[in-house]
Amino acid sequence: MKKKTMSLVQIVEPDAPAASGQPRLAVGIDLGTTNSLIATVREGQVVPLPDEQGCFALASAVRYLQDDSVSVGHDARQCASCDPLNCILSVKRLIGRGVEDVQQLGEQMPYRFQAGESHMPLIETVQGAKSPVEVSAEILKVLRHRGELALDGDLFGAVITVPAYFDDAQRQATKDAATLAGIKVLRLLNEPTAAAVAYGLDRQAEGVVVVYDLGGGTFDVSILRLSQGVFEVLATGGDSALGGDDFDHVVADWIVQQSGSSTDLSPGEQRTLLRMACDLKEALSQAESVTASYGDWQGELTRSRFEQLIEPLVSRSLRACRRAVRDSGIDTGEVTAVVMVGGSTRVPMVRERVAQLFDCQPLTDIDPDKVVAMGAAIQADILAGNQSGNNDLLLLDVNPLSLGLETMGELVEKIIPRNTTIPVSRTQDFTTARDGQTAMALHVVQGERELVSDCRSLARFELRGIPPMVAGAAKIRVTFQVDADGLLSVTAREARSGVEAHVEVKPSYGLSDEAVSRMLEESMAHAEDDRKARGLREQQVNAGRLLETVRVALQTDGDLLDVAERALIDEQLELLEQLASADDQGAIARQVQKVNQATHEFASRRMDATVRRAFAGRQLEEL
Amino acid sequence: MSEPATHFELFGLPQAFVLDAGELDRRYREAVKLVHPDRFVAASGPEQRAAVERAAALNEAYQVLKSPSRRALYLLNLQAALDEEATVQDPEFLFQQMEWREELEELGNSADFAAIDTFRQRLIRARQDVDQEFSGVWQDPAQRPRAERLVRRMQFLDKVLYEVRQLEERLDDF
Repeated sequence: MKKKTMSLVQIVEPDAPAASGQPRLAVGIDLGTTNSLIATVREGQVVPLPDEQGCFALASAVRYLQDDSVSVGHDARQCASCDPLNCILSVKRLIGRGVEDVQQLGEQMPYRFQAGESHMPLIETVQGAKSPVEVSAEILKVLRHRGELALDGDLFGAVITVPAYFDDAQRQATKDAATLAGIKVLRLLNEPTAAAVAYGLDRQAEGVVVVYDLGGGTFDVSILRLSQGVFEVLATGGDSALGGDDFDHVVADWIVQQSGSSTDLSPGEQRTLLRMACDLKEALSQAESVTASYGDWQGELTRSRFEQLIEPLVSRSLRACRRAVRDSGIDTGEVTAVVMVGGSTRVPMVRERVAQLFDCQPLTDIDPDKVVAMGAAIQADILAGNQSGNNDLLLLDVNPLSLGLETMGELVEKIIPRNTTIPVSRTQDFTTARDGQTAMALHVVQGERELVSDCRSLARFELRGIPPMVAGAAKIRVTFQVDADGLLSVTAREARSGVEAHVEVKPSYGLSDEAVSRMLEESMAHAEDDRKARGLREQQVNAGRLLETVRVALQTDGDLLDVAERALIDEQLELLEQLASADDQGAIARQVQKVNQATHEFASRRMDATVRRAFAGRQLEEL
Repeated sequence: MSEPATHFELFGLPQAFVLDAGELDRRYREAVKLVHPDRFVAASGPEQRAAVERAAALNEAYQVLKSPSRRALYLLNLQAALDEEATVQDPEFLFQQMEWREELEELGNSADFAAIDTFRQRLIRARQDVDQEFSGVWQDPAQRPRAERLVRRMQFLDKVLYEVRQLEERLDDF
């Protein structure tokens, strides 16, 4: 059976494990719409990493030049007006989206799009058609390079943050971009969770934390509970069409209205007006009143007038907060901390209203533009094993949107409801509608609505080879599994006949595994022989590591296996050991797969045993 | 392969309807810390896969045990499979159900948050009564039909409580 989740790329890991004293080089990356940041933990301190000019924020702008070079950052953004078609800004709004979604953004996006493989939009540039995944990878490559220079070595891996509302396709695409940039993703982490970690709220004993994230174009709220070192996301919510840009718009409208100027503005005039509105807004975070002039008109905007203008917008954000509170099942009185993220939370009224709602002074002392990357760096450090012993914080996330299947009548059968703690696995049985039916089409969708057409299509696949039976007799078990990154894989099998049928999942908006591996190969400038030698070496290292971990496990937990099971594993290990010293890369890879299969049950039992041991002897006293 | 553990066994808890919710929360957090994939970032493929599966199993067990109606249904299913599609006659509850439905509809037109809250409190008390009764009968095979009816009542109350929340949300959006 083929799963959607990628597993094709093996990235070379530095061999020294954390235990040997040398910390693994791990970073946190905030891949933002406007700016991106990278941070790491150095000698116990979280530090954002600057570029050579000392600048922390990397503009999320990529320019493809005629001479085949690529420029990323501030310079690329500066060229947005002189070379609009080859300067890609705000690519985060395109990643993991379909052509239709992108057309909705059309007005704000000057690019020439073409439909690529599996409905993914491709942007036509001077260097050919580029996918949003490739564009994002360019930004990540620059950050990776910055990290490797600063840390002086190859990265072990990175925690990359995504908005909590990002769906499966957007998460998958983000992960693909990292793979393409040669970064091993330790975990995709929700931005609000990262912010809470940055504030060190995990070092509190217990509590409920609200993260209020008002960015330029989106609003996001998360409610988390901390208890016994487990940080659990209880609910997330938000409004994907509400942000600080809307504040600029209401101020701009006010100027037009006050000055009596024409509402019919050229794109250039509109940009100037919005820029001015944004400046006024920012000035009002400090000043009680500012002077505005537009054309011949001059006027005064007081903070209280400004607050009247944005009041409906702020109220909308608070409504989303109340909904998240209800979803989480907590009482607002239980909230112990509120964390502010995003530049728009600098507006005093926003802080006041949030403080009022939760009866709790919001935390604002970490720069709201850096807080996410810093939290991601802390989590990366934990995952890399650099903090073992003194920090066993665990983050539990939820899936932001319901996942389901299309059923008769274009209705959605929800399999995993939103706000379910991940990882999660749910199975549902379906059956055939016609006599002798041998194939079934499955359509995986995401969203809260009842009708398929109102939800987002994630993947379509077919289950073939069902033995002919009367209608309703076949029992098709469909399993949805969401891993700790929020990525979905779907498998289907016909249970009654015992025949395992074949399933293929094609991501609707992402890149296929083949496409990613092809791009990776193309991007590696190694000569063919070099590449082969490197591949063989990686495979051998891989095999050696696997042999070692399984043998250590057998030593400690060998008693979980019976004699026959043990013999089978020993035999497969023996074979792998022989093959690993020879130079047939394919044979090693196949044998690694066999060992993986042979030890899967053993690994599961070991985990069960660990949990049992934790509770051993405690049942009696409680009975 | 050994028998899969029950949700109760997973947490080392006695198989009972009455359960210490705080203790369940504590044991869940303790267990999930041991098997979560975050603990196996540098581990082998099978270990990582097993971690995803085990963490998913723990999450599922926790969700079932946390909800009284799902816990009750699970307990009955452990005794003998329950046909969830079957219609269950429960005339004494039917009248009550209709009353609540009517009341909910009227509240929908009134937009009176205080009245909605009073209604919710009454539903919660009703659910506590049903829970209490269930805990007294579920282990007695002779009272199985009664136990099944009570599970249905719990599910109905869950649903009305959910609708009350949706109503509040709708009213809050204006």
